[in-house]
Amino acid sequence: MKAAALLLIGATLSTAQAAPRQGEADAAANAASLRGIWESEAWSGVNEGGRPAGGIAAVNAKSTLTMHPPYNEEWEAKYQAVAKDKARLAAIGTTMKVCSFAFPGAMESPALFQILVTPEETLFVFATPEVRHIYTDGRGHPAADDVWPTPMGDSIGHWEGTTLVVETIARRADKPLRISSPMTLLSDQARFTERFRRVSDTVLEDEMTVEDPVALARPWVMTLKFRKVTDLDRLPPHDCSENDRNPVVDGKLTITPP
Amino acid sequence: MKAFIRFLAATVVALVVLPVDAHHSGAMFDDQKSITLKGTVKQYQWTNPHCWIQVVVPDEKGVVAEWSVEMGAPMELFRNGWRPRTLKAGDRITVVIHPMRDGSRGGLYVSAVAADGTPYGKPKPVVGAVL
Repeated sequence: MKAAALLLIGATLSTAQAAPRQGEADAAANAASLRGIWESEAWSGVNEGGRPAGGIAAVNAKSTLTMHPPYNEEWEAKYQAVAKDKARLAAIGTTMKVCSFAFPGAMESPALFQILVTPEETLFVFATPEVRHIYTDGRGHPAADDVWPTPMGDSIGHWEGTTLVVETIARRADKPLRISSPMTLLSDQARFTERFRRVSDTVLEDEMTVEDPVALARPWVMTLKFRKVTDLDRLPPHDCSENDRNPVVDGKLTITPP
Repeated sequence: MKAFIRFLAATVVALVVLPVDAHHSGAMFDDQKSITLKGTVKQYQWTNPHCWIQVVVPDEKGVVAEWSVEMGAPMELFRNGWRPRTLKAGDRITVVIHPMRDGSRGGLYVSAVAADGTPYGKPKPVVGAVL
């Protein structure tokens, strides 16, 4: 009888060791749902010239962050004022250079990113090489006196099944939503809620809701999509300062000798 | 009325988007024009934010000039079949570029073939090919 009881205990222990606990299984499923290297669907298919295969028009046709935000009257007037300043826009369009991205523009940029899921946080590591830290261990945003605006903002998150829900505040208000749309600004009160979920083997979706009581007339909902990168087994570095041969001279981009 | 609403909607979402996002504006290149450079590789730079091919090209009188051919970043080239040692100095090459608008000797890479006619990079679909 004693031997049988010991056997039973042994079997139970053995089973406990073999099968992961529910929390571990959930964590593994969460990690599996997002892990890997991803690229913005709008920017997939960049050619050897470093330009989108279908041209910038093809990128814009698939982009969401370049859309016209649902501004309130005051911010719509600001938007229109910049949009009408064709001379300023032309100057920006002729000479602009981009070496790093801010949130949310980074999510719809040519920069590849790798997602890493840990028990404490999920990290979006960009090739450019910004990092989004999304804390999922239950901590909240810093207290109001302890938070300041940064390009990526402050993000916390939680898991709903294998969907990662992220809330981001405190992004810098002087950064346009996407670098190519200088008039699309939001206030420092903007709050972003994102729901990341894998919709197929190769596609990750980010349903993003933007709320800004200062700038927007209503919440702004959009969906960003990402494609799994399957032709790279690591994230190549992208250091803009390594060999920049495109200085702006007399208001024009140029090429310098090596 | 419906047509007017459609027009209004189109106007409201009319976008002002600049041709910028990939390191720098592409406005410096004339993408409506392509020229072919037939010459010798002087240097191949596998660097960020752009890779470069320096090509020495003789003109019809035999006078050589050096051209700078801008490519994508290593990350983009690698995915298109290029490697850090795909080219070396002395390689004969024919490169098609979109030239600089300012007339300087440089341009944006479009395609290239080796001396034996082998294309560089991943094979690309041929426009108009019968599948």
